[in-house]
Amino acid sequence: MKGEAMRNDDREITLGEYLAARGVSRRAFLKFACSLASLMALPPSAGVAMAEALAKAKRPSVLWFPFQECTGCTESITRSHEPTIESMIFDMISLDYQETLMAAAGHQSEAAREQAMKDNYGKYLLLIDGSVATGLEGAYSCIGGQTNLSWLTEAAKGAAAIIAIGSCASYGGIPKANPNPTGARAVSDIVKDKPIVNIPGCPPIPAVLTGVLAHFLTFGSLPELDPLGRPKAFYGETIHDRCYRRPFYDQGRFAKTFDDEGARNGWCLYELGCKGPVTYNACATIKWNAGTSFPIQSGHGCLGCSEPDFWDKGSFYRPLSVAHWGDKATLGGAAAVGVALGAAAALAARRRQDKIVKGD
Amino acid sequence: MDLLTFARGPGMYWAVTIFVIGVLWKLAGVILLRAKRDLSEARKPSAWTGLRAILTRSWPRRAFVHGTAFSEVLGYAFHVGFLFTLVFYLPHVLFFEDVFKGLLGVNFQRLFGVPWPYFSGGMVNFFGAVAVAALIALLVHRIVNPVKRLISNFDDYFSWLVTIAPLVTGMLTYGHVGAPYQTLIAVHLLSVELLLVWFPFGKLMHTFTVFMSRGTQGMQFERKGATL
Amino acid sequence: MSDLRDTAYATAILHEVADLLAKLAADGSAGAIDLRAMPLGPADRARLKEVLAQGAVKVSVDAGGPSEIFETVYPGVWWTCHRNDAGETISEFIEVTDCPQFLKSQPDDIRAGASGLRRLLE
Repeated sequence: MKGEAMRNDDREITLGEYLAARGVSRRAFLKFACSLASLMALPPSAGVAMAEALAKAKRPSVLWFPFQECTGCTESITRSHEPTIESMIFDMISLDYQETLMAAAGHQSEAAREQAMKDNYGKYLLLIDGSVATGLEGAYSCIGGQTNLSWLTEAAKGAAAIIAIGSCASYGGIPKANPNPTGARAVSDIVKDKPIVNIPGCPPIPAVLTGVLAHFLTFGSLPELDPLGRPKAFYGETIHDRCYRRPFYDQGRFAKTFDDEGARNGWCLYELGCKGPVTYNACATIKWNAGTSFPIQSGHGCLGCSEPDFWDKGSFYRPLSVAHWGDKATLGGAAAVGVALGAAAALAARRRQDKIVKGD
Repeated sequence: MDLLTFARGPGMYWAVTIFVIGVLWKLAGVILLRAKRDLSEARKPSAWTGLRAILTRSWPRRAFVHGTAFSEVLGYAFHVGFLFTLVFYLPHVLFFEDVFKGLLGVNFQRLFGVPWPYFSGGMVNFFGAVAVAALIALLVHRIVNPVKRLISNFDDYFSWLVTIAPLVTGMLTYGHVGAPYQTLIAVHLLSVELLLVWFPFGKLMHTFTVFMSRGTQGMQFERKGATL
Repeated sequence: MSDLRDTAYATAILHEVADLLAKLAADGSAGAIDLRAMPLGPADRARLKEVLAQGAVKVSVDAGGPSEIFETVYPGVWWTCHRNDAGETISEFIEVTDCPQFLKSQPDDIRAGASGLRRLLE
């Protein structure tokens, strides 16, 4: 069944054998590999090569740790019909620890985790969602009496790579928003000596995780990353660059309110605060719910949720170009200061004139 | 804090504050100066008609056109292009409407009945290009012409630089050319902030003083019976 | 009213198909175009469907959800549409080949079937 923590011996068979045992034909797998290659903007021929490589790959042990998170990332990834590209995640890996999905609980689940870490030391993948609380030495977020911080530092030692899922794990996310009471930090702030892939988004697009795992299994390495550690295949372009409403932006057709004629005609949402131009993600091409829609298509501007500190960058409804110029009081004060300075200058000039007239 | 957050936040806040302080300082400093009283008899009952000099002095008299047409035409090309890009591009319009609402407490459209007009990005880009071309031509003229070169100072060159920077960075931002968009728009905003900070302290103050000086001169001459 | 601008992407794709088909005819090398790779508008799709209309062969496949492949009126040019169990389109290709890989029986599936049939008959 999807998501069940597998027994140790299942990890030795290849992905191809695993799928065959579950009644998934090679033809069906080829179909999904080609679709995944398409999502990753690889050429169509890559799909066939990927299917062949993946079929021969051994399923890596994966430990999924939930830290300071809302479980939205887990929900996003499991919200799909089977089989789909998203569910391929669970076929491709041996998910040895996942608190929302696994059947075991309490001490049993912790025992499973420790066993998996021991058996696969140096080879397992760590999937982290949620930020790491560092305030009060990490006491703000604990599982089984141990802080997330110590879990992470301990587990990172034996990990082959770490995947930070969602904006919280990638940058600190919502918990890090001002004033950051728990001292929330990104995974990459804590772990410095292991390869880390950030898959930001609030939540992230599920297919991105599938793509990263497929790349890892096919090529044995992580995909090419941008300066913020995000896979370029999915975060290489801004929403604005691929938005279907871009022609309206160029033509100067903007919706002014959420229910005016412009909004009904599907015009650009720049004036309603869309952060598309400064946000890197694949929402405009891959979209959500198997290509159904994405926020702009549904009539709401992009929040910029795959960028760092998007909660602290001002109102979602304030247009990008409207920088903070101050307020009436400040400018009033500034005007008063200016006039005072001018008056002082004029007074000095008048005094000088008087002196000249007096002949000093 | 990243560059864009700074440019959209404290950068703009302080630039606008310094701009307001500086402009009012310079204007008050001039207006409050002692003006020499004209003790002669006024030839006209009212000198206010002298204000028309603001218009009549907008183009040189025929005798001088030959020598000045180049600079005059390019000067107008720059000003028209610059103002068009500043005032008729929606992202800018949104900024000004926000200032309007913040200062007066009422929407522009609510007050005037019509929305602030704006044009397509392509058209704004065209006018921006015209302004940039005019500025470059004027700079070349300033450097090549021996008289102009002799009398040019730091203010002339620096004011030119802080004026062309927002135009060029604006066009690069519109075209998404040369750097990620976040960087482009941050640099554009910072160039505007530099312009605002320099504005009161150099020749860019002519924006206000040109009308004051032409008007004053027109009225003074009108009082003496000579219409400019 | 159809504007040349509205079908610009379709025209580009059709030119690429023509090039690939010429290559297939010359030396048998196959190629494919991913229709998700560019933002196709409704006019683009209509134009593609008009030119690359269904030909003699139409295949329905049920593998991990329904997939439909048909050979267009140009032999060697196939249009593949993959859907998942929920009927959502997950990828779409135009393949230029004598037979799409997806239609062929896969070696591993053949091997599994061979041993399965042998077991049944024993």
